[in-house]
Amino acid sequence: MPDRLRRLLSGPASLGYAVLTATAVTYLLVYTTNLGHLPTSFDYLSILNTTLPLVFVAIGQSLVVITGGIDLSVGGIVAFCVAVTATRVHGSGLTPFAWLLAILALGTACGAVNGVIVARARIAPILTTLATLSIFSGLALWVLPVPGGSIPSGVRMVLTNPTVPTGLIWLSLAVLGWLVLRRTRFGMRVYAVGSDETSAVAIGVPAARIKIAVYALSGLCSALAAVFYVSTTTAGDANAGGPFILTSIASVVVGGVAFSGGRGSALGAMAGAVALTLVIDVIFFAGIDPLYQSLFQGLFLVVAVLLGTGAALIARARRGAL
Amino acid sequence: MSTTEIGGPSWRARLRALTPNTRRVLYAWAAAVAVIAIGSLFNPDFATWSSLRVMLVVASFIGFVAAGQMLVVLVGGIDLSIPWVLNGAAIVLTTTSLGQTGRTGLALALALGLGAVIGFANGMGVAWLGVPAVVMTLGMNGVMQGLTLGLSKGLTCASCASYAPKPLREVFVDKVFGVPAQLLLWAGVALLLTVLLTLTTFGRRVYAVGVSPRGAYLSGVSVRGVTVALYTLSGVFAAIAGIALVAYGGQPSLGLGDPYLFESIAAVVVGGVSILGGRGHYVGVVAGSLTLVAVVTFLQAQRVPEYGRSIIYGLVILAILLTYGREKSNA
Repeated sequence: MPDRLRRLLSGPASLGYAVLTATAVTYLLVYTTNLGHLPTSFDYLSILNTTLPLVFVAIGQSLVVITGGIDLSVGGIVAFCVAVTATRVHGSGLTPFAWLLAILALGTACGAVNGVIVARARIAPILTTLATLSIFSGLALWVLPVPGGSIPSGVRMVLTNPTVPTGLIWLSLAVLGWLVLRRTRFGMRVYAVGSDETSAVAIGVPAARIKIAVYALSGLCSALAAVFYVSTTTAGDANAGGPFILTSIASVVVGGVAFSGGRGSALGAMAGAVALTLVIDVIFFAGIDPLYQSLFQGLFLVVAVLLGTGAALIARARRGAL
Repeated sequence: MSTTEIGGPSWRARLRALTPNTRRVLYAWAAAVAVIAIGSLFNPDFATWSSLRVMLVVASFIGFVAAGQMLVVLVGGIDLSIPWVLNGAAIVLTTTSLGQTGRTGLALALALGLGAVIGFANGMGVAWLGVPAVVMTLGMNGVMQGLTLGLSKGLTCASCASYAPKPLREVFVDKVFGVPAQLLLWAGVALLLTVLLTLTTFGRRVYAVGVSPRGAYLSGVSVRGVTVALYTLSGVFAAIAGIALVAYGGQPSLGLGDPYLFESIAAVVVGGVSILGGRGHYVGVVAGSLTLVAVVTFLQAQRVPEYGRSIIYGLVILAILLTYGREKSNA
């Protein structure tokens, strides 16, 4: 067990865990000194439910970044799926859930389009997804021109129940899904493509197909985020996706996923996403003017990366000394 | 086909004889001309001087930010801090000038200085601390957004209602021989950047770093120095765009710079600059900026609703990238 623990702490996601722990401790300190008691279960539940969409987008973004790419279109796919969820998911019984499945398929298809353009047409990921971001955002505006829509309460009860932490089930499923995926042949190939695509192709990894699948998965994650977003806010907005572009990249960075590809873990990105959401709560409870929010998020991002680089340098120096 | 071969090398052969850099500039201008030609098929007034002049002025704002973006893209970097450096500089300009003519110089110096300082900090972070460009400039964008919002109290501070001083308006908006002064400034920037990049040692170093940082370092180029200089210039160009925008609009708003983040990247690549670095010219980026504006202007003139504009804009960028923005196959 200690061996396992050590491996966990020195793994690629360790930066994410360290940052998350530090942020969580700060949150608890700031909360208790200001309100005189520990956070209640209501606080934890609201953190969980507001952070879930970003967690999902961050998982998708981390997969893409591990292959050495970047996905700016997550903002467009989230917006498109939010618009469809808020306007089309009606009725009672199982009908809304059938719609939710259709929306997940829609997100996956959008992501697959990105993948095909990146892998087959060989346009750089940042440019492909910049162009498709515009297309998917346009589709979102077409479906939902003005903010509005609704979500059946039955869906809310299952996805982000405001009294029972159903969100935990979905979060655990996401963690489990990643742990399984990473050990499959597909998971190994994702890392292979990210570390060295030419070598991966040379040993017979179908790099193009892997990339298409990874972008499709990122689209699926964005669709999941959209569904949870509408479930928490109970309405849709065609501009809902915008903030996820930069925050998902920030989560991935804080989570210790390397932009050069081939290194990192979705678990780190998930930890990064939760930490970034917690920072906002810390600022709130510390009584800092919310106008300064992005200042602290920006500093948080750069400092987290600098700490990661510093830790890596120290580790290397220590290894050298031994 | 055979007739052209008798008369000399075919246009295809001539095109192939050009360097990839020049060829991409040609493609970029061909795209701009094609968009304007298609526009004038639908609307004969589209390509008149008065219509082109308006499009060029709108394109010049993108042109300024894209100048900075191109410089960092040339060395394989990216600047995501443009939106709030631009916005911050615009607000610094109006709040220090207080609309008074006598304070124009001071306000200009402070706005440009802000851009330079932030760009310098980006460069130091990327070159010396080894922070990835995406992370450094994304973080800096957040820092600038927080500082701008916080210090101006959400643009509600006492001096936040000030206008840009009058002389500045004249310098940017007034016409010189029928040409808006801002277009002359843009032409100046284009000339300066082209000379800097193609005729000076510094320019050769920029391309050397872009093609291979390691190779450049081994041949004695100060890779870090070049990188810091380029990020500093990018900050300055973002500030210039902010100054030009308030000179036109009179007052800054919050979120003024937000559209320019992705537009600057799009203008750079539509202009034929390789996102991987080492290839491209500012002459192409001028065409790229014009293409983007021409597409939007055309769609607006055709009364295409916002969602349609967004979808078609994305499709046009994709189509342009498919024709000349593809990477070499590594299979």
